[in-house]
Amino acid sequence: MKMICTNCGYVYDPAEGDPMGGVEAGVAFEALPEGWVCPLCYAGPAAFDAYG
Amino acid sequence: MRPSLSSLYQAVELRSAIPPLLIGERTNANGSKLFRERLLADDFAGCLQIGLEQEANGAQVLDLCAAYAGRDELRDMCELVSRFARSVKIPLMIDSTTPEVIEACLKLYPGRCVVNSVNLEDGGRTARRVFGLIRKYGAAVVALTIGEQGMAMTAEDKVALARRLHGLAVDTCGLRPSDLLFDALTFTVGAGDETLRSAAVQTLRAIREIKASLPGVGTVLGLSNISFGLAPASRRILNSVFLHEAVEAGLDAAIVDAGKIVPLARISEREREVCLDLLYDRGGEGEGPGPLPRFIEYFKGAAPAAQEAVAGAGAGRFEGAERAVSRQVVEGVREGLEDNLAILVRRLAPLAVINQILVPAMRQVGELFGRGELLLPFVLQSAEVMKRAVAWLEPLLSREEASQRTRVLLATVQGDVHDIGKNLVEIIFSNNGYEVVNIGIKVPAETIIAKARECGADVIGLSGLLVKSALIMRENLAQFREAGLRQPVLLGGAALTPRFVAESCVPSYDAPVVYCADAFAGLAALRAHEAGSLTSTVWRAAAQATAVRPSARGGEVQRGVPVPEPPFYGCRHVTEIDVAEVLPYVNIEALFRGRWGYRRAKLSAEEYEALLEGTVRPLYRELSRRAVEEGLVQPRVAYGYYRCYSAGDALCVVDGGKEYRFPFPRQAAAPHLCIADYFRSEAEGGDVAGFFVVTTGEALDREAHALYGADRYRDYLMTHGFGVEVTDALAEYWHARMRRELGIAGSEPADLNGYVTQGYQGSRFGFGYPACPELEAHRPVFELLRPERIGVTLSETLQMVPEQTTSAIVAHHPQAKYFAV
Ligand code: B12
Ligand SMILES: [Zn+2]
Repeated sequence: MKMICTNCGYVYDPAEGDPMGGVEAGVAFEALPEGWVCPLCYAGPAAFDAYG
Repeated sequence: MRPSLSSLYQAVELRSAIPPLLIGERTNANGSKLFRERLLADDFAGCLQIGLEQEANGAQVLDLCAAYAGRDELRDMCELVSRFARSVKIPLMIDSTTPEVIEACLKLYPGRCVVNSVNLEDGGRTARRVFGLIRKYGAAVVALTIGEQGMAMTAEDKVALARRLHGLAVDTCGLRPSDLLFDALTFTVGAGDETLRSAAVQTLRAIREIKASLPGVGTVLGLSNISFGLAPASRRILNSVFLHEAVEAGLDAAIVDAGKIVPLARISEREREVCLDLLYDRGGEGEGPGPLPRFIEYFKGAAPAAQEAVAGAGAGRFEGAERAVSRQVVEGVREGLEDNLAILVRRLAPLAVINQILVPAMRQVGELFGRGELLLPFVLQSAEVMKRAVAWLEPLLSREEASQRTRVLLATVQGDVHDIGKNLVEIIFSNNGYEVVNIGIKVPAETIIAKARECGADVIGLSGLLVKSALIMRENLAQFREAGLRQPVLLGGAALTPRFVAESCVPSYDAPVVYCADAFAGLAALRAHEAGSLTSTVWRAAAQATAVRPSARGGEVQRGVPVPEPPFYGCRHVTEIDVAEVLPYVNIEALFRGRWGYRRAKLSAEEYEALLEGTVRPLYRELSRRAVEEGLVQPRVAYGYYRCYSAGDALCVVDGGKEYRFPFPRQAAAPHLCIADYFRSEAEGGDVAGFFVVTTGEALDREAHALYGADRYRDYLMTHGFGVEVTDALAEYWHARMRRELGIAGSEPADLNGYVTQGYQGSRFGFGYPACPELEAHRPVFELLRPERIGVTLSETLQMVPEQTTSAIVAHHPQAKYFAV
């Protein structure tokens, strides 16, 4: 499932991963490495909300 | 909206925040002798009276049934429904199985009601007709697990019938699953009938399976059947324990005499055990009497709670009001609050009403919020109800009762105008039974010390927006120590970290200093203080995972990028800006989900869409309209372009023969980014940098503040959040304009998401954000741009006033994007 950052609106799409944060495509949001933050505003995973 | 019922006056969610939804059963000619007598005497006003009493006792929906041999059901129901619709505030449950009666009532009723009921006795002929009516009038319906062979007894049969009814309703007749409430029916465990020993177990299993296998549907149960044949006092206890078990199993609504539900807390451990044994048919094997004889024996002599529950007239009313008030707080409903409180204070001291009913209800609100089951705007609505209840009770408190509460002094520190963080804390604290003395913003340490002494504060809370305020907090603590203060100090604010508090603040003071991430963390700290267990924040570096700070788009910063020609050098001030042009840049997702707290959280996509469409978007449209028409938003801009060159990690900006140096940090790890690199050095021929300070003025904040003063907490948060995002939108809008002026607007984003991900050439960096953390930069920026001319000043701690102001440096280099150091 896609997840959106409630602080800035960045959308994490598992199909794309987060290249800037070194996360490959195919990684589920729940499986992101510990310490991962929003690549745009650096909010933590708790700031993310179900999207779509 | 979530599936709800409604009357002329109010809507009630079918799946209430604290289940079950209580459906009053006394307005039923078959279930209540009094109601029947009045009906037979054509005393419709008397019938209505019973309905109003059920409502006062805490019923949230009213079951209305006039089917009685020898009466004209159609005429009676039409008469009753029109009277009830006008006078009873809660929605109705039309209790009839005759399609003609059902249709007449649906036509008459001015809200969304629920019909009770359909079944498959005749193979589905009538059910199909009624489902058609339900669809036509947009109502909801109760479906009973009764088939051609009669009432289903086993869980398997109940579930099978539910599936068939579901198929007929949803697949054939086009109802939504959420329009259906399944009643898995129960038989009594009190009659001593061997075949019914597992009646409760079968029903509970059926409820569980229906909820699991038919997503989206609701469940309902007529509660009193379970205890048929037992003594009245013990029935109440058994019914209440059974209700609790059924809710655990997934029951959404119960048809009950609302006044006769005994709160679980009032039922002793032993009573509960005896009831559970009977319900689950336990301990019947081997020697000794089985669970039923033991139940009867137990309640024969000593039955304390049961006796208390029936002691004197009005006891039921009291319990009803107790539940009703607690629900009103949890669900944020104000109607009838004072009436219910008036009932409560006849039996309980006002302080006890606060401590035993209101505060636990707010605590539950906090827990629901913590679990993500209640969104922030709804928490604020609960707080509004709580505030009203306490305001009503306060004059009744004795002076010493009033002064028993823990007193908290709250202030935003010197040089800081940030109000809302502290005010949200006040809302949560004061509505959880604490006394708050809120002494405002920009408060110097001396004043805090004096006020703390004056009001005898038990705890001090400090708030601030920017990192400079965190430094002020540390200084304040040293002053508090010198003045001999000993109260614990709670610290909060966006720029504060637990590490800073533990390492820099805790050592400056002699009593506990505690970092609070939000108002609820503050609440936990207050409770710990009262329990004598509050301790200072500690920081264990090793235990915390280090954040992966993202960065690095591409490697080397390319040199020799062409320098755009700005339309002018120096600063300009713009005050004529059309708000309507700014609004399309508002980051809607961040506003709705972030600032306003309307997260999807545990809602389904459809439920979330309904929440947005029903509540959130209309609110946004209204605020936007007022922003444009009533001048609530007053956009003003100070901006300029300047010659500059990079010198190592700094940027030198030249204006009027003077040089301004902006030092920037460089990443310690690859790719070692630094903002200075996006500009040409002197040797490379120099470059051009843009700056801006934009504000939306003070009108919206004034409006928000007035709402706060009027205890309209939800609207307060909404208005403030709107202002914040419009301010950001103004920055986005102006940045786009500067790109056009620089002639670098060739590849502008097609939609809002493109702005979020910076899909344009260049970047803007706000001072205080990770790539340029130094707020000191505001001093040269203010010298360059002179934002005083648009009404923006700099506080002694480098905060821009008014608060809804933001600043940035604009870089044109195509590789310039956000990064963190
Ligand atoms: C909204 C916002 C703004 C708004 C204005 C602020 C406002 N509230 O009106 C705008 C867009 C205008 C803005 C501008 C700026 N902002 Co700003 N902003 C924020 C943001 C996103 C939210 C702040 C907020 O209002 N939150 C809502 C309130 C209710 O929360 P709160 O105040 O934090 O309070 C809660 C808790 O902290 C806690 N709490 C607070 N006080 C207390 C006290 C006690 C006793 C207890 C128990 C608890 C407690 O409980 C509260 C309720 O749960 C934060 C980041 C973030 N996610 O928090 C950045 C943030 C505060 N901003 C930041 C910055 C840098 C700026 C600017 C300097 C940027 C710029 N160059 O323009 C300017 C400065 C504005 C100025 N006037 O000087 C930085 C601050 C870092 C720093 N170096 O100081 C932050 C932290 C973002 C970041 N991650 O870097 N900002
Ligand atoms: Zn983000």
